[in-house]
Amino acid sequence: MRKSLDFLYDAAGYLAAFFIFAIFAVMIGSTAMREFGLRTGGTDDLVAWFCAAGSFLAMAHTFRRGDFVRVGLLLEHLGERARHRFEMLSLSVAAVFVGFLAFWAGRFVLDSWKFNDMANGLIVIPLWIPQMSFVVGAFLLFVAVLDELVTVARGGRPGYVIATEERHARGDFNEDV
Amino acid sequence: MELVEIAGLLLLIMMLLLAGGVWIGMTLAIVGWIGMAFFTGTPPGKNLFTAFWGSNASWALAALPMFVWMGEILFRTKLSEEMFEGLSPWLNKVPGRLMHTTILGCGIFGSVSGSSAATCATISKVALPELMKRGYDEKMALGALATAGTLGILIPPSITMVVYAVAADASIIRIFLAGFIPGFILMALFSGYIMWWAWRHPELTPRPDPPTTFMQKVKASGNLIPCTLLILFIVWVLVAGWATATECAAYGVLGSLAIAWWSGSLTWRNFLDSLMGATRVSCMIMFILAGASFLSMTMAFTGIPRALAEWVASFALSPMALIGVLAVLYIILGTALDGISMIVLTAAVVLPMIQKAGFDLIWFGIFIVLLVEIAEVTPPVGFNLFVLQNMTGKDSNYIAKCALPFFGCLVVGIAIITVFPITVTWLPDYLMGKSK
Repeated sequence: MRKSLDFLYDAAGYLAAFFIFAIFAVMIGSTAMREFGLRTGGTDDLVAWFCAAGSFLAMAHTFRRGDFVRVGLLLEHLGERARHRFEMLSLSVAAVFVGFLAFWAGRFVLDSWKFNDMANGLIVIPLWIPQMSFVVGAFLLFVAVLDELVTVARGGRPGYVIATEERHARGDFNEDV
Repeated sequence: MELVEIAGLLLLIMMLLLAGGVWIGMTLAIVGWIGMAFFTGTPPGKNLFTAFWGSNASWALAALPMFVWMGEILFRTKLSEEMFEGLSPWLNKVPGRLMHTTILGCGIFGSVSGSSAATCATISKVALPELMKRGYDEKMALGALATAGTLGILIPPSITMVVYAVAADASIIRIFLAGFIPGFILMALFSGYIMWWAWRHPELTPRPDPPTTFMQKVKASGNLIPCTLLILFIVWVLVAGWATATECAAYGVLGSLAIAWWSGSLTWRNFLDSLMGATRVSCMIMFILAGASFLSMTMAFTGIPRALAEWVASFALSPMALIGVLAVLYIILGTALDGISMIVLTAAVVLPMIQKAGFDLIWFGIFIVLLVEIAEVTPPVGFNLFVLQNMTGKDSNYIAKCALPFFGCLVVGIAIITVFPITVTWLPDYLMGKSK
C-alpha cells in the first residue's frame, strides 16, 4: 500500500516533468518554425495546456516532498504534542478543501464532456482532454492529503516534514525561491 | 456588515489559518471560498474550478517553469567556480579586495538566475570557503553574501517578477528591463559600502593574492566567457524581439544546457534532478497563484478592493505617505512570509490603490521586488538567512545582524528609486517606447 501510493505520486510527478520538458520543446520548435516561415498557430494553446498539466499533475508529489510553502513560525516552536495537534488540524482543513476542489474538478469536467465543450483556439479538441490533468492532479492531491492525515493520526510524523528536513540537511536550498 | 469590516474578518481568518500551518495556496483559496459563499450571491464551486484552471493554463505563466529550470541547471554546473577565478585577479588593487567577488558574483549570476536563494547558495558555495581560507572578515562576507544574493530576483530574469507581472497583468519584458538599472545601483551601493568599510578597518583586509601580469588576468577572465555569452544571448533574444519573454525563457534553458554540456556536468542524473526540481518549484508557485486567483475573483465580486481603496483615500495621504505606509507594511509581512506569497496576497487589494494614486505599475513592481529582497534577509523568516545558516552552521539571527549594513543599502536603494522613478522607467521606455 505504502509503496504503491508513493509510486503513484511519483509517477504523476514524472509525467508533470515530461510536460515541463514539452513546453521547452514546443517553444524552441515554434520559434524555429517561425523563422522558416511556417505557420505556428495553436502552439500557444498547447503551451498553456502543458503548463497546467505540468503543475497540476505534480501537486501530490510536491506536497509529499514538503515543497508546498506554509508559515512555520509558530509550528517550529511548539512542543511535540502541540505540534502533533496542529498538524492534525491543518491536515483536516486541507483534506476538506482539497476534497471540495477535487469534487468540483470532476463535476465541471464531467459537464464539459457531456455538453461536448470545444476549445475555442486554433486547436479544436474537446476541452475535457486537457482539463483531465486538473481532475487527476486534484484527486491525487486529495489522496496524498488523506494519506498524511492517516499517518499523523496514527501518531507518525508527516512525510513532508521528514522530506524537508532531509533536503535541508543535504544543504539543498534550490527549492526555496 | 460594512465591506471594510468583512475585509477585516477575512483577514483575521487568513491569519489564523496561516499561523496554524495551513499551506499558503490552500489558505488563500479557503478565504476566497468563505468570502464568496457567505458575502456574495455566487456559488463558489464552478468559480473555484475556473480560477484554478484559468490561472494555470496560461501561456504567459509557462515562462515560470523555464526560468526555474534554468537556475536548477546552472546550480549544478561549475559556473560559480569559474566566476570566482575570472573575477578575483582584477580585484587585488580595489579597497576590500576579494570581498567584492561576492557582490559581482551575485550580480552576474543574478542575470542568469531568477531566484534569490539559488543565487545566494551558488555564489556562497565557492566564495565563502575561498574568502575564509585567505582570512577575510567572516561577518562582512556573510552579510554581503546574504544581501547580494537577493540580486537574483532584481536583475532579470526573475521568478518574482514573472509572478508580479502575472498578478498585475503587466508586461514581463518591461519589468525585466526595468530591473537592470536599480540592480546596478544596488551593486554600486553594496560595493561602495565594502570600500568604505575596508578603508575604515584596513587591518581586517588580508594581504592581496600574489600579483599577476595583465595577460594572466585576461587568461583567467576566459572563465567568464560562458556566463557572459549566456547573458548576452538572453538579452539579445529579448531586445531583438526574436522571441517573446516566454520563449526567451526556453532559450535560457537551451543556453544553460549548452553550458552544462560544455563543462561536462550534463549527466543524465543532473538533467533529471534539475527537471524534477524545477517541476516541484513551479508547481508550488502555481498552486499559490491558483489560490490567489480565486481569492482575487471573490474580491472582485464583493467589491472589497474598491471599498478599501476609497477608505485609504479618505485619509487623504499624499502619494509619498502611501508608499511609506506600504513599505512598512511589506517589511512587516516580509518577516513572516516569502516574497511570492507576499505579492499575490496583496495584489488584489494594493494594486488598485496604487493605480488610483497615480503610480506606474512597472515602477511599483520594482519597488515591491526591492521590499521582497529585504524580506529575504529579515528574521525570523528569510530564505537567504536559512541558506547561509545551513552552509555555515551559524545562527540565522547572527547572519541577519551581519547583513544589517547591507539592509541599510537596500533601504537607500528604495529611497533612490522612489525619489527618482526615472531610474526604473527610463530603460524600458527607451528600448520599447513609452507605455500607453
